[in-house]
Amino acid sequence: MRWALLSLFFAPVVAAAADDSACAACHAREASRFRPTPMAQALQTLDRCDILKTHPDLSFQEGPYHTRITREGDRSIITVTSGAESFSVPILYALGQGKAGQTYVFQYDGAIYESRASFYNETGGLDLTIGDQGTTPHTMVEAAGRRMGPGEAANCFGCHSNGAVAGGILHLESVVPGVGCRSCHLQADKHAAAVRAGNVAAAKMPHLADLAAEETLELCGQCHRTWAQIARAGMHGPNTVRFQPYRLTNSKCYDVEDQRLRCTTCHDPHGQINTNLASYDAKCGACHSTALHTKVCSVAKENCVTCHMPKIDLPGAHHKFTDHQIRIVKAGAPYPN
Amino acid sequence: MLVCGRALAGLAGLILSIPGVARCQGADSPEGVLRHALQLHQAGDIAGAIAEYRDYLNQVPDNVMARSNLGAALSRAGNYEDAIVEYHKALEQQPGNLPIRMNLALAYYKAAKTSQAAAELEGVVAERPGERQPVLLLSDCYLRLGENRKAIDLLTPLQQQTPDDKALDYMLGTALIGDGQTARGELLVDRILRDGDSAEAHLLMGESRLSAKDFAGALEEFKKALAINPQLPSLNGYYGTALANTGDTPAAEAAFRKELAWDPNDYVANFQLGKLLEGDANHAESRRCFERALAMRPHDRGARYELARLDLEAGQAEQARAALERLVSENPQDVDAHISLATAYYQLKRKQDGNKQRALVLELNAAKQAAVSAGMSK
Repeated sequence: MRWALLSLFFAPVVAAAADDSACAACHAREASRFRPTPMAQALQTLDRCDILKTHPDLSFQEGPYHTRITREGDRSIITVTSGAESFSVPILYALGQGKAGQTYVFQYDGAIYESRASFYNETGGLDLTIGDQGTTPHTMVEAAGRRMGPGEAANCFGCHSNGAVAGGILHLESVVPGVGCRSCHLQADKHAAAVRAGNVAAAKMPHLADLAAEETLELCGQCHRTWAQIARAGMHGPNTVRFQPYRLTNSKCYDVEDQRLRCTTCHDPHGQINTNLASYDAKCGACHSTALHTKVCSVAKENCVTCHMPKIDLPGAHHKFTDHQIRIVKAGAPYPN
Repeated sequence: MLVCGRALAGLAGLILSIPGVARCQGADSPEGVLRHALQLHQAGDIAGAIAEYRDYLNQVPDNVMARSNLGAALSRAGNYEDAIVEYHKALEQQPGNLPIRMNLALAYYKAAKTSQAAAELEGVVAERPGERQPVLLLSDCYLRLGENRKAIDLLTPLQQQTPDDKALDYMLGTALIGDGQTARGELLVDRILRDGDSAEAHLLMGESRLSAKDFAGALEEFKKALAINPQLPSLNGYYGTALANTGDTPAAEAAFRKELAWDPNDYVANFQLGKLLEGDANHAESRRCFERALAMRPHDRGARYELARLDLEAGQAEQARAALERLVSENPQDVDAHISLATAYYQLKRKQDGNKQRALVLELNAAKQAAVSAGMSK
């Protein structure tokens, strides 16, 4: 029954066009802590995009195509030139806050395009968007971006924003940038309506903190990719490091039924990522301790994640991703698939 | 594929000759009732003929031809299930009656019971191997069932005898492309195109592109076919598939629905629409589509797998487990089935079994990757 109930959470994101102010009226603490997080900034309007504000003229050369992203007031324009020809289009949204990088989307000829050049924080400039390696543009438009089908565009906005997708169809007019309350708490609208009506029974909603490990990973995996999605795609190699639920599931200490190791064990879904690596030691120690007579590390007693969750350099991403496949890393051993 | 089925639909019909005597002249004698039934049947009063045949058979139940005609009348009225019952009764008395067996096969075919139709037609073709129409209909059944190899075996000798038959070229080309024999299939496409542009040829070229996962190329071919003949059977099902794979799901859904409005039993349209609807969490309609697809191809792994996934979504883990275990035992290399089986086991609190399935998936994916790497290094 619980699994059947859980399937309700995994329905495509369908939300009314609204921000989270209705939720914040009662859940002010969660809302205020969540707003500055990278997830809440997963989609940015151009007037608020700090990266493009502080980098008003970015450029990128790919074969005969020269791409520039230039600032004009509150907007930014992608221009591709090749010889005497040029193609310009305004950027619609920026995807990602830019900790690792930022990709852009634009609208052209009735479709949504993903920019072929992305901004990378490490280099402070543009390079090929992840996934476009190995492809060659044949036109100015292709050099500017990759046309997304309606389904792919809906999925993209479904994770980077809320309120944008209804019935699998993208409605740009109702985009609320960033992940919102409704992205995870799918019954939030019903809950809010019931609260307004004073109907306590109808206001009850699933308590996500009660989910088992597998259920939590399935929920977070709707955007960060589930184990099944990556396994079905047959992905392999360091590319999979970006998909944390998949990697965590492959950890020896992961147990589908055990709540002690799931995404929320280490990550507060309403808060910022904790960058103090030593702070995670207590999480490991909750299971691995001499007091519990469980296996403990013979090498060190602190900073567990620095060895057991190594940073992996993903080629082309200009960023080191934390590998969530918790393991004993042996020198020279290949990346475990 | 309906090209053949539609052309052969006229085969089902009266077996008795009609003397043309009205019931009023023969009073209520059994012979008079039968004559009246035949007259009504010939005049197109199918409901009246059915009533009269039934009346006659109540009095003379052993008349095989009258029972067969009742089957034909029921079939014409669209009541295939009852027609099948009557044909079976007739065949119990005359098992070797090939015209009745052929009519029974047609009733099965029209009732979308393609496996049963094929079984009956195999009997007819075995008895009359030189007759073209049963061979074509049986080939069409094989194509609908996805049994391309059987269709190729059946059609190849016929195609050698009649090399200029475009309908035959089309069917054989479909079977060859469906079987992965793309080069041989495209030779037939070239032959069809030799006499000018044709929707059938573009459909086949599109199918060939689809099997090579060149979805954009397939889309172009299907658009050309649609420009020539938008009502070509099966075309919208394949067109929708190309649209869905190039990301235009709303247009894909419209194409599938158009195909199904013409032919509710089209396997491709049912299966692909089911997948689209599953993605939209419209599980009830998705299930109906997969069930229809499975009715067309009772052994189809794709439809069985998708139904098992829907069972998982609905919390019917035990049902899903049984189906998925069958799928992995039939094909231990089926990664998708192993993945879903792991989920089923977890839902059933069989954690160790679930973990084993996941470990198997990682092994299978690693083996696949190793094979790809080995191929690349050669």
